[in-house]
Amino acid sequence: MSNSYALRLTGIDKHYGYVQALEDVDFHVRHGEVVSLLGDNGAGKSTLLKVMSGAHRASSGTIAVDGKPVNFQSPHDASKVGIQMVYQDLALVEALDIATNLQLGEESLRGFPWNLFGVLDRKKMQRDSIAQLDRLGVRTAPPTRPVEMLSGGQRQVVAIARAAVRVLETHGSGVILMDEPTAALGYEQTQMVQELIRRMADEGIAIVLVTHNLPLCFEVSDRIVVMNRGRKLADVKVADTDRDSVVGWITGAKEARIDE
Amino acid sequence: MTNSTQHDGSAESSALSQSSTANDEHKLPFNIAALVFVRERGIIVLWLMLLAFFTVWDWPYFASVPNGLLILQAASLTAVFALGVAIGVISGALDLSVPGTAALASVIAGSLIVAGTPVWIALCVALMVGAAVGLVNGLITQTGLNPLVVTIGTLSIMTGVASVISGGYNISGLRVLKFMGTARYLGIPSHVFIVAFVYLVATFFMTQTRHGVRLIAVGGNPEAVRRVGINANAYKLLGFVLSGVLAALAGLMQTALVTEASPQASPGIIFQALTAVALAGVSLAGGRGSLPKVLVGAIVLATISDGLTVKGVPPYWATVATGVLMIGALMLDKILTITISERLVSIGNMSVHGGSKGKAAK
Repeated sequence: MSNSYALRLTGIDKHYGYVQALEDVDFHVRHGEVVSLLGDNGAGKSTLLKVMSGAHRASSGTIAVDGKPVNFQSPHDASKVGIQMVYQDLALVEALDIATNLQLGEESLRGFPWNLFGVLDRKKMQRDSIAQLDRLGVRTAPPTRPVEMLSGGQRQVVAIARAAVRVLETHGSGVILMDEPTAALGYEQTQMVQELIRRMADEGIAIVLVTHNLPLCFEVSDRIVVMNRGRKLADVKVADTDRDSVVGWITGAKEARIDE
Repeated sequence: MTNSTQHDGSAESSALSQSSTANDEHKLPFNIAALVFVRERGIIVLWLMLLAFFTVWDWPYFASVPNGLLILQAASLTAVFALGVAIGVISGALDLSVPGTAALASVIAGSLIVAGTPVWIALCVALMVGAAVGLVNGLITQTGLNPLVVTIGTLSIMTGVASVISGGYNISGLRVLKFMGTARYLGIPSHVFIVAFVYLVATFFMTQTRHGVRLIAVGGNPEAVRRVGINANAYKLLGFVLSGVLAALAGLMQTALVTEASPQASPGIIFQALTAVALAGVSLAGGRGSLPKVLVGAIVLATISDGLTVKGVPPYWATVATGVLMIGALMLDKILTITISERLVSIGNMSVHGGSKGKAAK
């Protein structure tokens, strides 16, 4: 594993009026690493995720991607340097097929003169989709199947795969941020998403996961970061901790422990 | 549930199943495929049934080429209006100003022609007026106002402006427009050619081009479109502009047919168009719909009206039949959608095969 940080935040503060949502938070994730971000409601984990995705701007602090300082004005800025957020509501277009959803905004066009009229090369889009999903080990319905005909788990996999495809194609690796990726899923579908997360990490993608699902967190993460009232209370390797300690940090009953 | 995850160590079986089941495993079961077919093609089946019914009932007067052309001619205006409304609805906005746009465009074209402007310039100006109206509708809507209310407002404004321009009278004697009115080419009414052309272009645009696909996407989930870095508002504007241009075209066709431009908007046409759109299964929530089916929807309306008229049934029964049909179509679509999604849940066909190297940190 490389030691350079895919994404590193230092001294992040975030105020909403008088409310301090984040206070001097340091956070980092390496390529190929899965970090779970835990905490009670209102602990600041979602705010931190939004700062990483460019949806919110930090009041102070610095963000660096692959060692280079960045300044996000919007999620679009973040996606340009290889950070993709998978939203809880998935952001898929139901009536369009899997291939189109995967490539929306980056559609392949047919050659001259068709490209002048923006005519799509559907065959290529479908071939590309199959290749992209194959690389992630995802076998799904045919790429021509509309998303509305997929189950919740299948949709989640398509949404995550899209984020992975975007960062892999344009940046070789990148960072994927996920907000409760398994909140709406049953057991088997959660297993599927879990497998996909590990596959993406193996491809060198850095993954930050906000979740309430402790079993998932222990199964899939390399490292756990616990937030409590806007501060980072714990930052430990999964191998060096157990469930009771994590619950202790989440509730604030246990003393802080920052290993990294 | 068959969507079990294959864990590490089953790489062999996963490679095997990948080659052998990639095709069969992911095919929809026959019963679901049949339901999907009925939902997707139901309107066409319905139309064929109507044709068969009227052929027998009205024998031998209904099933003839001249009567067929009459039906197509009668469906043409509704078809073009419905196309504009459908594109608007698919892109996420119900544009009710369509009759006003049609009236304004006709009156402007009429006055220009009467004033001696070359016909093609007058027609181009009228279509550009349609585009401009769409642009204004779209821009007002983007301030956050409800498109329904905004377009009711612009409907009223345009009807007024059309009357002001024409002094409240119809502009008559527009015989130069006959080429796109009552004229026939190879025995086929000119309107049929126009309808065929606009539907071909619009269908190709919506299904085969990047901009069409994004237009559908913006109607279905504007947030999703925004998040992938596409300017969603630009596509919403495009939806209004296309709707405006088609409304103007329909207005011109109407004017050409009667060689008279009327400043009176006929709001009835919007309901006729909406009926065709609803029959075609275009969701009013936006983001889905097939344009060829909208054309069939318009033809179904004309077929019912023609079939009853040929038999001598009073024409108001046609509107009753239309209403019943529309509600029936919507209910059928709802039932099919629910059934299909229930059946689909019971077959999970996706997997992420293993081969994960395990946790790197461990």
